[in-house]
Amino acid sequence: MARLQGAIAATRFGMGARPGEIADAASDPRGWLKAQIAPNAAMMPAGDLLSAKEVLEARQEAYGMAPAAKGQDGVSAEARQGSQKQVQREIRDGLQEEIEARGRHAAATPNAFAERWHRFWANHFTVAARNAQVVGLVGPFEREAIRPNVFSSFSKLLGAATFHPGMLVYLDAARSIGPSTQVAERRDAGLNENLAREILELHTMGVGSGYTQADIVEFAKALTGWTVAGPQTARLVGLRGQNQRTKGGQQRARQQAAERLTRDSGETVFLEPLHEPGPRKVLSKTYSGPGADQAAAILDDLAANRATAQHVATKLARHFVSDTPPASAIAKLEAAYMKSGGDLSVLARAVIDLDEAWGETPLKFKTPEELLVSAARAAGAQATFGGAPRAVYTSLAQQPFGAPSPAGWPDDTASWAGSDAIKKRLEWANSVSRRMARGETPTQFLDRALGEIASEKTRQAVARAESAEQGFTLALMSPEFQRR
Amino acid sequence: MIQLNRRSLLLAGCAATLVSIAPGARANTNPAQGRKLIVVILRGAMDGVAALPKLDDPDIRAHRAALIDVKATPLSNGFALHSAMPTLAAMYASKEAAFVPALAGPYRERSHFEAQDLLECGEVAKVSADGWLNRALQRAPAAYSAVSIGPSQPLILRGASPNTSSWSPAVLPEASGDTLARLLDLYENDPVLKPALSSALGADSVAGAIKMDSMGGGRGGPAQYVAQLQAAGNFLAQPDGPEIAVVSLEGWDTHTQQNQMLQQRFTALDNGIRALKASLGETWKKTALVAVSEFGRTVRVNGGGGTDHGTGGLAILAGGAIKGGRMIGDWPGLKPAALFENRDLMPAVDARQVFKGLLRDQLGWAQNDLDTSVFHDSANAKALTGLV
Repeated sequence: MARLQGAIAATRFGMGARPGEIADAASDPRGWLKAQIAPNAAMMPAGDLLSAKEVLEARQEAYGMAPAAKGQDGVSAEARQGSQKQVQREIRDGLQEEIEARGRHAAATPNAFAERWHRFWANHFTVAARNAQVVGLVGPFEREAIRPNVFSSFSKLLGAATFHPGMLVYLDAARSIGPSTQVAERRDAGLNENLAREILELHTMGVGSGYTQADIVEFAKALTGWTVAGPQTARLVGLRGQNQRTKGGQQRARQQAAERLTRDSGETVFLEPLHEPGPRKVLSKTYSGPGADQAAAILDDLAANRATAQHVATKLARHFVSDTPPASAIAKLEAAYMKSGGDLSVLARAVIDLDEAWGETPLKFKTPEELLVSAARAAGAQATFGGAPRAVYTSLAQQPFGAPSPAGWPDDTASWAGSDAIKKRLEWANSVSRRMARGETPTQFLDRALGEIASEKTRQAVARAESAEQGFTLALMSPEFQRR
Repeated sequence: MIQLNRRSLLLAGCAATLVSIAPGARANTNPAQGRKLIVVILRGAMDGVAALPKLDDPDIRAHRAALIDVKATPLSNGFALHSAMPTLAAMYASKEAAFVPALAGPYRERSHFEAQDLLECGEVAKVSADGWLNRALQRAPAAYSAVSIGPSQPLILRGASPNTSSWSPAVLPEASGDTLARLLDLYENDPVLKPALSSALGADSVAGAIKMDSMGGGRGGPAQYVAQLQAAGNFLAQPDGPEIAVVSLEGWDTHTQQNQMLQQRFTALDNGIRALKASLGETWKKTALVAVSEFGRTVRVNGGGGTDHGTGGLAILAGGAIKGGRMIGDWPGLKPAALFENRDLMPAVDARQVFKGLLRDQLGWAQNDLDTSVFHDSANAKALTGLV
C-alpha cells in the first residue's frame, strides 16, 4: 500500500518517477510532496538564458533605430534590416534553448511536484510564442513571473503575471491607450480589451461568472498606462517626436520621462499619458485612486472573489483528480483558497490532502509534454528524444511554449487521445525502446517507472514480450504509463 | 568502404541507414582467406523440436501430437526437418547444413531479454555491456570487421572494438504487427486507448498487418527475413567486405497458433537462406552460418495451440564451409524424467561450444583467447571440433 502511494506521489503529483523516487516517496508520500512546498522550490537555474529585459532591449535597439534622413544621425535601411534579422534569429535560437533548458530541468529536478505545480500555473497564465514580438519573452515570463510566485499568494502571482512584459505584449496591453488621452487622439489609437477580458475569463473569475462587457471595458481602461519602456514607447507617447511642440517646464518634464524610458528600457512602466484618466467602476466597485494603483487594486479584488476561487479549484481538481472531478474535491479546494486568502502554499497542501486524488487507477491522460518528461525521467533524455527534441515535440503535437490560445493547453483526455495521436505515440515509443540502455529488463524498467501502479495485465504483457525492445515499447505504451 | 557499403545497399534494394563504417584497411595476407561467419539470432525463442522433430522418439507424440509437421522431411538419426524448409533439407543432403539439437546457453531461467542479453554478451549469469563478438574482434587474428543487419546495433557487437557497422532496411522503426497485436490485447479493457489505436490502424488493417506479417509481407518480423539475409550476403560478398555478419530475425515467440506462425517463419527463414546463398555467390563456399535462439520452448503443447518458454533449443548450421549432413551432439530424449524441470528439452550442447568452434576453425581465433577473453572463464565449455 505504501509503495502504491509512493508511486502515485511520484507519477500523478510529480512528473514521473526517476530511479529510486518511488521508494523515496513511499515512507511518507504526502509528506514527501509537501516538503517540496517552499518559496524557491520551483525555481530553475537561468544559466545563459536571456532575461525579458535583455530580449526587449535587443529588439528595441534593432527596431527602434531612427532612420537616416536629411543628413541626421541614423543608419542605412540595409543596416537596420540586417540587425533586425540577426536579433530575430538570436531570439528564435533563444526559444530553442529555453525549451531544452526547461526540459532538462523537468527531467532532472527532485522537486517534481513543484515543477508540476509551476507548469499548472504557467499554463493557467499562458504566454505563447505567437509572433515575433513575444517569442523571446515566453521563457523569461515563466522564469521571472511564474516560478518565483507559485508558492506565494494567488494575488501576487496574478500581479506578477499581468504586469510582466511578456503578458503585456502577448495580450496587447502594452499598446492599449486610454481613449480620451491626448496620445490616443494624436495617434488615432485607443483601448485594447484583450488582456482585461482574458484576465476575467481565464485567469480569475472564469467565463459566465457574472462580469459584463462594461466591466471588461472599465478594467481595460484601468490597465491603460502599463506598458514596456523603450524608444518605441517613448515615440508613442510623443517624447521623441520630431514635430512635438513643447516649451518651458513641460519640456523638461518630458525630457526626464524620455530619459527614464530609455534607461529602464525593457521593463514594465506605468505611463500616465497613456492612462485613461478618472475613476473606474468594475463589478460595482469604484476605484478612484491614482491611475497607477487602479489595476493592481482591481486585480487584488478579483483574486479575493469567490468566483476566482471556484474557477481555480475546478481547474486544479481537473488536473489532479480526473477530467470530471467530484464536487467534493472542488469544494475542499475552494474552501482552502477562501480560508487562506488565496495562499498558494495552503492550496498546494490541500491538493495533496485530497483523498479523491489518490485513487488506485490513474485517470489523467498525459499530455505529450507530460509523457515525454516522464519518459525522460525514467529512461533518460537521450532515449526519449534521440537528440532531436524539437522533432519529437512536433510529432506529438505539443511544442513547448506553443499553446494555441491564451486558454493554454487543454487538460483533458479527449484533446490528446485521438487515434493519430496514439499512432504517433506508438511510433515514438518504438524508437525510444530501441535507444534504451540494455542494463535492465523491461520488467525492471516498468517497476522502476510505475511501481505498483502497473496492472497485472501490463506486467504480464511486458514480461512476455519477445524482445527487450518490444517490452520497452509495451511498457511505454501501457495504459498506466500513458496516464498518471 | 563507404562506397562498397553504398553499393551493397543498392544491391539490397532498400532505403538504408548506415550507422557506422568499419575501417577498410586490411592486410593482403588476411588469415581469413575469404572465409565468412554469419551469426543469426532468432529472437523470441524458436521451437527447435517443431523445426527438427525426432520422429522416432517414443514420447514425442504424447507430448505434442498436434505440433508435429506430418509432412516433415526425414533427414537422419530419426530426425526430420519441417516441410517449410526445403532449401535447408536439400543443403543437408548435399552436406552443406547440419543441426545441433538440444542446444542452450548456460542460462536456465526463461526471460527473453535476460536470455538474449546473456546469449549476446557470452556471460553465464550477469549481463555485461559488451558482446562476445566485439570482444572477439578485439583479439582477432587480423583486422577483422563485422556488420549487423537490423535496426539497432545488437549487444553481441557492442563494445570497445570500432570495427563494427550496422545496416537496417527501414529508415524509421515501425512497430511490428506482433507489437500491435500485443498492444491491442493490452488495451482490451481500455475505453480510450483501445478505440484510438483500433481506429488509427483500422480494424481491417490491423488484421491485414498481422496476416501480411505472417505471410512474409508488411511490417517487421518475417517480412524482413529475406531482405535481411540477402543484405548480409551482399555485404560479405564485397571484395573487401567484413568477415562477420550478425542478423537479428524477430518474431519466434509462438505462444498461440504455433503451427501457422511457424509455417510462415520457417518459410521466410528458408527463403532467406536461399537468398543469402544467391547473394553470396562464390563466397557461399567459404561461409559458415549459425542460427540460434535465446532458448527453446516447452516440449508439451500449451492451452493455446502453442508452446511456452523452455530451455533446450536448436542450432542450425549452414554454408559451404560447414561439414554438413549430420546431427551434432546428443539427444537427451523426451521421457518426462529426462526433461529439464519436467517440461523442457534438456540441454546437451552449450551454445558457446558452437560459437567457439566456429571462431577457432573458421576464422582462426586462438583457443586460449576464446576460453578466457571472448567467453570469460569458459574453458569447461569446450569448442566443438570439426564443424567446418
